[in-house]
Amino acid sequence: MDPIVYVSLGAALAAGLAGAASAFGVGVAGAAAAGVVAEDEKNFKNALILEGLPMTQSIYGLITLFLILLSAGIIGGGFRFAEPNTENIVKSAILMGAGLTVGLTGLSAIPQGVIASAGIGAVAKNPKTFTQGIIFAAMAETMAIFGLVGALIMIATGVGL
Amino acid sequence: MFRPEDMVKIEVVTLNRFKDPLLTYLHEVGAVEIRELDVELAQRDSPNEYHRKAASYSITISRLADFLRAYRKSSGGGIKAFIFPPERKRKKYRYRGIEKLIKDVEEFLSVVEPEVKAVENKITSTQTEIERIKEEIAVLELLSAINIDVEYLRHSGLVEVVVGTVERQKFDGLLKELREATEGRIAVASREMKDKVLAVFAFLRKDYEKVNPVLAKYSFERIEVPEGKGTPSELIPVYEERLREKEKELESAEEEASKMAELYYDDVVFYQELMENERDKATVLPMLVRTNMTFALSGWIPRKDVPEILEGIKRVTNGKAYINVKEPSKEELDDIPIKLKNPGWARPFEMLTEMYGVPKYNEIDPTPIIAFTYSFFFGFMLTDFLYGLIVGIVAALLVKGHKKFNDGTYKFAYTLLWSAAFTMVMGILFGSYFGNAGDIVLQYVTGNPNAQFPRITDPLKDPMFVLMLALAIGLAHLFLGYTIGFLVRWKNGDGKGALLEQFPWMLVILAVVLYAMPSKPEWAVMGAKALFGTGIVLFAIGEIAANGGLAALMIISDFFGFVGTWLSYARLMALALATSGIAMVINVLADMVWGIKISVVPLGVVIGIIIFFGGQLFSTAINALGAFVHSLRLQYVEFFGTFYSGEGKPFSPFKSKREVSELELEA
Repeated sequence: MDPIVYVSLGAALAAGLAGAASAFGVGVAGAAAAGVVAEDEKNFKNALILEGLPMTQSIYGLITLFLILLSAGIIGGGFRFAEPNTENIVKSAILMGAGLTVGLTGLSAIPQGVIASAGIGAVAKNPKTFTQGIIFAAMAETMAIFGLVGALIMIATGVGL
Repeated sequence: MFRPEDMVKIEVVTLNRFKDPLLTYLHEVGAVEIRELDVELAQRDSPNEYHRKAASYSITISRLADFLRAYRKSSGGGIKAFIFPPERKRKKYRYRGIEKLIKDVEEFLSVVEPEVKAVENKITSTQTEIERIKEEIAVLELLSAINIDVEYLRHSGLVEVVVGTVERQKFDGLLKELREATEGRIAVASREMKDKVLAVFAFLRKDYEKVNPVLAKYSFERIEVPEGKGTPSELIPVYEERLREKEKELESAEEEASKMAELYYDDVVFYQELMENERDKATVLPMLVRTNMTFALSGWIPRKDVPEILEGIKRVTNGKAYINVKEPSKEELDDIPIKLKNPGWARPFEMLTEMYGVPKYNEIDPTPIIAFTYSFFFGFMLTDFLYGLIVGIVAALLVKGHKKFNDGTYKFAYTLLWSAAFTMVMGILFGSYFGNAGDIVLQYVTGNPNAQFPRITDPLKDPMFVLMLALAIGLAHLFLGYTIGFLVRWKNGDGKGALLEQFPWMLVILAVVLYAMPSKPEWAVMGAKALFGTGIVLFAIGEIAANGGLAALMIISDFFGFVGTWLSYARLMALALATSGIAMVINVLADMVWGIKISVVPLGVVIGIIIFFGGQLFSTAINALGAFVHSLRLQYVEFFGTFYSGEGKPFSPFKSKREVSELELEA
């Protein structure tokens, strides 16, 4: 495959998979949020913050997309790996690996949405559980963070910015 | 600091006639946590008639308060009231016993309750009336399809008239059966509507018994025809006029209600608070014991409050009281309530400790450590001077506005202020000002395309350095936790637990540190191997002692658990880089549109500025939320996991809640 295919697939998978997963997560939590706001409008602020938690994965995906494009020179200058020699193919394949890592670990947004939705229900019953609910939901984010750590190392040390 | 407040047990026996004054005094001081007493000789105390009245009046008054609150003219509100909430005035009440208080409340209610109830009834009845008129207008609009005088539709006498709707497909069947039932003695007028038919039937009174079951069978829905004379289209304006009148009436009633709210609301809330406190006071009665003449109570009290409370009890009871202050015994260790004790600078951070759970009485209070590590981690994960500045300004305003209330907002804003300070420091260290925006401005100003703010390293260019830094910080944090755990257990006489559960990890961490020394001298590598070996052996012994046969499995899972805990600190690096990454993305986006021009109008600059500031504010909010959550998680999950139980019982004193009232006690 040409290097450009690797690079664009990597960028697309990072932002695409993580973004789709975030949408699922926010969707699940949003349905719960709509319910508890109907019960009492005071729940709005807490529910909104919890609903927003699964959104971070899509941001990690977006950062990765930008870093991949930046690293490959698509943003700011010309494409650095146009020549399909071994070195360029290796580097662009690393970029794709980085994108895939963030995209797949970004799937953690879906269970995070499920946790956040349970948290929203709990907060409606007892507002004191708000911070605990956030912490529970943040647990699921750990995997996405590890994915981002891995991808950052792959991009920065394997290819360079 | 590091230790919860010293507690002692207090026991008081005194005469029954001092019960109300003594409980009121303790309730207002709020320094004693009353516990249940069990004495065989004496019987349990119970609320009397006045306490029951207080409970019932507190419900009555809270209903009045709810009603008046709805009609109160809202004052201000919005963001200013959130940051600088006005202080509520406290009204004084001279307390002369619950009997007198109940009498005062009854007097107050006898004036206010009928007045408020009258307005409330007027409003609800007018609202019902309005609803009814609206429904009748809707019926008239429906009936205007058949232009028959309403008087005829209401007719009842020798001939009975019925108006209603039926589903369209059932109508023919209904008509046929009605004709059969009445042998043709029925007149029909009908209009087809969407999926229903509006029908009017006129038949003889004596046929009613035959007609009714047929109507029911076809689920004919009757319509109550409004009163009046003339066709429906003539009547509608009359009803609309009536509706306007009623709406005016409602308006004036609501006006009256808001006047009443202005007049009585403060008093109602004042008496509500008094009654709720009385009700609350009565909840401890079942914990006391009494005889015919005396009663006794016992509870926990911070040692520093003892002299003041002793003095107070003596004053209230004229010295006619038996008071005993006891040191807690070993058996009571798990029973002692925990009140955290920290110097002023760390006190707001107690909120974070309390959220997880307070320590046991013989454990260490980690609040002062958390104050530094939590804020530092927050700063590490946000790492931007200007983000820190924004968070800091918001936090400083909230601290200023809420300090006098010492509420949750104040405590949270105070922790945020510390975190913002660390964020700014870290931002300067890594040369981050809205990400790389600072550098871009600097390059533009100096004209040097390579100009940069000073920094120790660029995290985006050298993430390995940041990762190593994060893991080193994590190791230090864990070492601190294991050391504290070791010392606390050792001091509490659990030397075996300290040696087998905390000590091995301390050795392993030291080994990792020795091994990570850059030049790797031989003695360091040897030392690392020795420490690591000893640590692992001790750890394995501990697992075998604790789990027996399952130890083999637990050794593997707990060892990798430790590795996982350590690697979890990599989030410090990931979130720090995420902040600079998002900031950079916003800067790139703003830069992209910057050059767009429509003829001479620099449209791109305007859009660019909007994207830049909007984006950076959004980024501040989302990254600060992330930093808060993950910094807290590192404390709760990773750090507390090494030594902290959080299983203490928090101190909940017998204390009144006073927002708008203040009691003056009789000497």
